[in-house]
Formats: sequence, C-alpha cells, structure tokens
Amino acid sequence: MWIYEKRLQYPVKITKTCPKTAQLIISQYGGPDGELSASMRYLAQRYTMPLKAVGGLLTDIGTEELGHMEIICAMVYQLTKNLTPEEAKTAGFDAYYIDHTTALWPQAAGGVPFTAKEFQSKGDAITDLTEDLAAEQKARTVYENLLRVITDPEVREPLKFLRTREIVHFQRFGEALERTKEKLDARNYYFFNPEFDKQFVEVAK
Amino acid sequence: MQENLAIASVPMQEWGALYGAEEALRVGTIFQDLNKPFFAADSGKQGVGSGQQKDGGNRMDSGNREPGSEQQQREQMMAKIQETSFALDDVRLYMDTHPDDRQGLAFFKETLAKRKTLLSAYAQQFYPLTVDCSADRYEKDPASECYCWLKGPMPWEGACV
Repeated sequence: MWIYEKRLQYPVKITKTCPKTAQLIISQYGGPDGELSASMRYLAQRYTMPLKAVGGLLTDIGTEELGHMEIICAMVYQLTKNLTPEEAKTAGFDAYYIDHTTALWPQAAGGVPFTAKEFQSKGDAITDLTEDLAAEQKARTVYENLLRVITDPEVREPLKFLRTREIVHFQRFGEALERTKEKLDARNYYFFNPEFDKQFVEVAK
Repeated sequence: MQENLAIASVPMQEWGALYGAEEALRVGTIFQDLNKPFFAADSGKQGVGSGQQKDGGNRMDSGNREPGSEQQQREQMMAKIQETSFALDDVRLYMDTHPDDRQGLAFFKETLAKRKTLLSAYAQQFYPLTVDCSADRYEKDPASECYCWLKGPMPWEGACV
C-alpha cells in the first residue's frame, strides 16, 4: 500500500520555458536508466529477497525512486508549461509534441518508449543486488551528462540532488549485499541460489 | 566486511558527521561522508538552456514576497517539512542496513517527532499533505465542512515549493 504526500522530495521551481532541456531530462522519466525503471526494478525484486531487511531496503528505495520520478516529471512539466506553438517546433521536442502535446509520457531522450526490458528481476539475491549497484551508477552517469550540458541553475539544483541520491543508494545496496553475504559461505558464494534453494540458507527474520 | 574473490564488496558505512537539515537537502544527503561532488556540477557555463544565471540554487523561500505574508509563512514551513522529511528518508535507508546503530536510531526518533509536529501544524494552518493529516484539521474544527484534501497547489506546479 502507498500513501501520497502532497509535496516533492526536492522543490522544483523552473521559471524559464525550455523544450530542449525537457527533451533531455525526460530520459530520467522513461529512459533506460530512469527513475521509473529504477522504481519498478527494486519494487519487483523485493518479494523474493531471502533477507527481510533487504526486502525492506528495496521497498524504501523503490518508493523514493517514485518520488524522484515525480521530481523529473515536475521539471519536464514546468519546462514546457507555457510552450508556444513556435517553441513546439524546437528540434528534439517537435516529434514529442506531435505525439503527446505537452503531456507527460515515459520515454528516453532518444524517443524510445519506456520498457521493462531495461531492468531485471532475476531471482538470485547476489545477481539482483549487483544489478542494483550498476543501476545506480548508470543513473549517476546520466545526471552527470545532464549537468554537463544544462546551465539553468533552477534545473541544475534538482539534478545535483538526484545525482547524490544515486551515490547514497549505491552505498546502501552495497551494504545489503554485505548483509546477504554474511548469511552465505564465504568459501563459495555461488554453491546455490540463496533466493531459490532456501533449505541452504538460514535467514534471520 | 570480508573481501573475497569473484564478488563485489562495499565497506559498511559508520555513523559520522551530519549536515544540518537545510544543507543536507541542498546536497542530497545528511551524511558528510557520502557527499561526492562532480567537478562539472558547479561550473556549467555553456550549453542547453543558458538563460538567466541566478546563483545559489532554488532555496525554497524565494525572497520577493511580503515578509510575514501567508504565502511566505507557508513556504517557510514547507521548507522545514521538506528538510526534516528528507533527513528522515536518508536516515531510514541507513537504518535499513544498520538496524542496531544506536546513534542512527536516536536521530531517526528525533527526526520522526519533528516531522510529525510540522505536518500537523501545516495541516491546521494551511492544508493537509497526507489524507491522515486531514484528521489534524477536523480535530481542531470538528464541524468543518471543508473537504480539505483538495486544498493547496499540486506539488508539480512549483507554486508552493
């Protein structure tokens, strides 16, 4: 169950219309390393995690990613809210405008629609946590690429915040992997799948 | 932490120095040890959207309103809620992987209490941020005929940041 809280995790107040910037940032909504993909990945993986605490962490980070999705959407919305028909012709945003006007729709910067193919839920705790570590790094790189090309401070401040969150989440997934390893035999972590071959792992509840 | 071949290892974080709530939100973490800035994050000069250059980021209480106006009071309280709630978000993830950390737990409890007070006051003075906060309004004014869940700007509008 989720409860909505009527505020953004980080404030977004963009006063300057810029469809080109919107067209780049939308990738963190529906792109390969975007917040929607992140959220769906963690919320999908949590059910079968052998350690309850790791399932809890995936729930909390997956929930925070939903909040990040909302920040990104708010940015795209505010960047295009007062779009004129002339501005709609901006290279890069014109194709999006034809299909969606100024509504929000999850796609990558290059126009590829959001797809579950961007993430995995593999059913092996080590595999999934390693994917999660990589996912945070990929998203960090996207935010850094955005920060290299976007100059408006009203857009940069939320992007800098979101970039730091990727680093914090990386640390937490690393710690979750350590907690999982503690329950396994260090001589061979791969002797069985801790998520499927349950009889081999003694899981603290 | 034990390091082994053929598997990733990340050291467990130890509780350390924290940022104040306002700076923590600006930076993106309460933990000074986890703030790892990017060199190009503070030096963007050319590129897309190079319009006005305004320094200092989007601090919540943008200054051009009458001091003491309802909107200014609301924005100041919203800023406090955002800062306190973010500190809670960050310490919660830490506690998820460090459930026995006593300093972390003390900070978690302290931040929870602050947030509860702020949310309740905001609901009574302005509008509820969660549907449960509506109860704070009806406790104060049981005969209220306001369906207050619809009050207040939608968060993506940027009107009440």
